[in-house]
Amino acid sequence: MEPKSMVHALEKTGALLRKNGRLIDIHPPPEPPPIYVRLGAERHLVGWVRETDDYIEYAQADAALTEAAARSLYTWQKRGTFAFVTHADTITELQAHLAETWNDAIIDDRVIQRAEELMASVEPDKEVLLHEVVQIARLIVRR
Amino acid sequence: MPVYQDPEDSEITALRKYAGDLTGKKVLEIGCGDGRLTFRYAAQTALVHAIDPSAKAIARAQKKLPGFLHNRLTFWAEGIETFRAPEQYDVALLSWSL
Repeated sequence: MEPKSMVHALEKTGALLRKNGRLIDIHPPPEPPPIYVRLGAERHLVGWVRETDDYIEYAQADAALTEAAARSLYTWQKRGTFAFVTHADTITELQAHLAETWNDAIIDDRVIQRAEELMASVEPDKEVLLHEVVQIARLIVRR
Repeated sequence: MPVYQDPEDSEITALRKYAGDLTGKKVLEIGCGDGRLTFRYAAQTALVHAIDPSAKAIARAQKKLPGFLHNRLTFWAEGIETFRAPEQYDVALLSWSL
């Protein structure tokens, strides 16, 4: 969504809310999330998920919310983050999952190789983790 | 093993904390995808209208829609720009969609 369309979408959403209605926004920050391999109790960082557009849309989403509040469409009430972890048995499974759910995500070959090397460990309790820290905010519509 | 997203329930916990008690509330979810998050909170609401521009994702969501939610949860393959809302809502949820 283009930045202008984001503000327009927020405006339209606000018009669909009742007086004092709540807008809950959940979106990731404009930073690449790390991929880990967990071997038993140890977590090893193997790299990050890249995006073809370098996470620009998340920065634009932040800017759109700020603009909507500046235009008095909404009032900020609360902001925070939570950890959203995706667990996979193999890096290939994680890659296939991202191909379905996150169009412009890229896992570089060297990240895949590093994950596969670690996953070749004899440790029986192991998995691949994608660790996203996601932003959540509550805004109240202004009338 | 398939891929598991958020088995720790961090997302639904954060949503409950930020949205408050959804009992009896009318909710519009924008960018619901295949209903991954929608199905987790819809049961307590009065109704949920969940929209997503991806017809494929909405078809998957409709396929998974459990019988007990039929009377309160409706999916539409639409973006917010074209959505003609039949209601006014207490809560609008932008789920990874802005």
